[in-house]
Amino acid sequence: MNSFKLSIVFGLIIVSNLLATNVEKSLYIISDSIQTVDSVSVPYMSFNETDVYTKDSPVININSGDSLKIWVYNLDSIIHNFAVLDLSDTFSIPAGDSVYIEQVFMDVGLYIYHDPLNYPKNTYLGLAGMIVVNDLDVQNFYWNIKEHNAQWNSDLVNNLDVDWSNYEPKYFTINGNSNPHINTDSLARITGVVGETLYLNIANTGLSIHSMHFHGYHAEIMYSSAHPNHVGRIKDTFPVYPMETVVLKIEPHQAGEYPIHDHNLVAITGNNIYPNGMFTTILITP
Amino acid sequence: MKQLFYILFIAVSLNATAQDETTFIFSKMDIEAQHVLWDDTPTMLMGFTAMMSASIDIPGPTLTYFEGDSVELKLRNMSQGASHTIHLHGLDVDQQNDGVPHLSFEVGHNETESYYFKAPHPGTYLYHCHVTSALHVQAGMYGLLIVKPNTGINETWEGGYTFDSEYAWMCSEIDLAWHEDSIINHPHDTTTMEFHLPDYNPEYFLVNGRSEQQLTEGGIPIIASANEVILLRLANIGYYGNTYHFPMHLNARIISSDGRPLPQMEFSDTLTVMPGERYQVLLQSTHEIEEEIDVDYFNLNTMEIASTQHIPVFISGYFSQVENEVDKIKLYPNPSSDKVVFSKRIDRISLFDSKGILLKTKHNSDCIDISDLAKGIYLLNLDSETNTIIKN
Repeated sequence: MNSFKLSIVFGLIIVSNLLATNVEKSLYIISDSIQTVDSVSVPYMSFNETDVYTKDSPVININSGDSLKIWVYNLDSIIHNFAVLDLSDTFSIPAGDSVYIEQVFMDVGLYIYHDPLNYPKNTYLGLAGMIVVNDLDVQNFYWNIKEHNAQWNSDLVNNLDVDWSNYEPKYFTINGNSNPHINTDSLARITGVVGETLYLNIANTGLSIHSMHFHGYHAEIMYSSAHPNHVGRIKDTFPVYPMETVVLKIEPHQAGEYPIHDHNLVAITGNNIYPNGMFTTILITP
Repeated sequence: MKQLFYILFIAVSLNATAQDETTFIFSKMDIEAQHVLWDDTPTMLMGFTAMMSASIDIPGPTLTYFEGDSVELKLRNMSQGASHTIHLHGLDVDQQNDGVPHLSFEVGHNETESYYFKAPHPGTYLYHCHVTSALHVQAGMYGLLIVKPNTGINETWEGGYTFDSEYAWMCSEIDLAWHEDSIINHPHDTTTMEFHLPDYNPEYFLVNGRSEQQLTEGGIPIIASANEVILLRLANIGYYGNTYHFPMHLNARIISSDGRPLPQMEFSDTLTVMPGERYQVLLQSTHEIEEEIDVDYFNLNTMEIASTQHIPVFISGYFSQVENEVDKIKLYPNPSSDKVVFSKRIDRISLFDSKGILLKTKHNSDCIDISDLAKGIYLLNLDSETNTIIKN
């Protein structure tokens, strides 16, 4: 009897190992700049897949049970940290150095990797991206939403103090873009056909709460890192708190082009110009 | 008069079937500041009215439909300037009727256009202008849209929760800088959507367009009986977050959001409603209480609470299921020294002294001023209902 039980357990372990995958990634921390909607160059930092700078910290897609193995290279001239929020330890990476991290993701969800050093400073300056753990074969879209105060970015990279309690952002972005440029980002711009299942993965790596409103459709909350009791709610407006992640399922019942925007309508401005902020459209064809 | 109330009740019941509904609404702009804030500061508004001659108030008229109604909502733009639209927030209407200017149509001055839609799931929705929306919403161009079930009874949705009375609170803010004539009366250039806006630093924090001491009237306070089930509809059309703090004795139950039932009803004494969100909450006290529901308005960037508004809750007497519409009218405070407020607008309020001599009457109001009366016992006649009030 005992040997029979043991053989079953052994079999399960083998099956589990066959499904799990080792996913290897490299991330390069680079300090550079971002262009605002009105073409102002603002100091910025990001994680990059190569040693060539882009403003976009990449989306890392894995399945549940996968082991994510990341080399993080610090190409900046100052020390940085690396952590997966609420999941991993924090790793220190001196300038010019690197660190190897291995993390198993057992549960479906949406996680933020970032530099927590001097929080919120380095995260605010751009060092935050998302890890999507999803086993479904559906169309996914990804929003890294945040906001910016150009003067503060300059002050922070020059090691000047800012008063976080007086934070007043002037630019509002999805994946680093504001309206009308969000719609040119294929990761961000939601497109599909009537009846299709679409997933929107949102990570708020900024410091403000963003209340995202859908025209045309209700969506279902599939995951919320900060409000797990909200899972299953079907809504048209979705507040996303700082450092919260939310996954939405949209099953469009009608064709059309409809706005999705922050309903804090100040956040659909860019440097006080309407509508140059967090505003995009969903495009659904019959 | 009680018979009249019965007749009205029957009329409401007969109306509770899906049908074709046509609603006329006007968009207007103040020529001069007329909306009086709690500290007597007048402010200019843009807004919606139900009648051409009516003054702009915030929020605009509440639009109420029954599930399945086929609605034609006609917008007549009398604003003398900017184009306007009606965005039917949360109704998931088709693109042509969604009220977003560059994706459908806008209504120019002196023009009339119609929006067509079928009233969806019962719940609490919004409507607002989507032209230069950050400005036009702040200017006052918003209102509530309520969809009721077709069951003919006070029910949240078919097979949902029954209730005895309902209140609707729409929260917003006012930044006077955005209401300056140079901003609100902006030139409208149809060739561009871009518009330069001031920084947003609101000074006034509103519930149904009122704040501070104004919250003691205007149908805003909850005036009910113990055991009465109250449906509270909450909406945030402002740019700050709202956190409601419900007194423990109200046993607040959060039942739906954005026009859909929650998967599970939740008991909570706090509820945060973010810009664009709506929630429906059931309240039911088993005790007579006189408390307040506090609403925090907090900055979404700093999380700092900029203001807390206090809405009176007055639960007196015990609710009976056999009460008719007249008997449901509640008043507070009693005794009172300055004014008495009613739970609903009364066609005719008559105040008598203890000898039965008529002292004053007031028509179509939800309050009556008694500050000029000497201490004593007075009688109020609300149509056919008689209540006794005591002057301190």
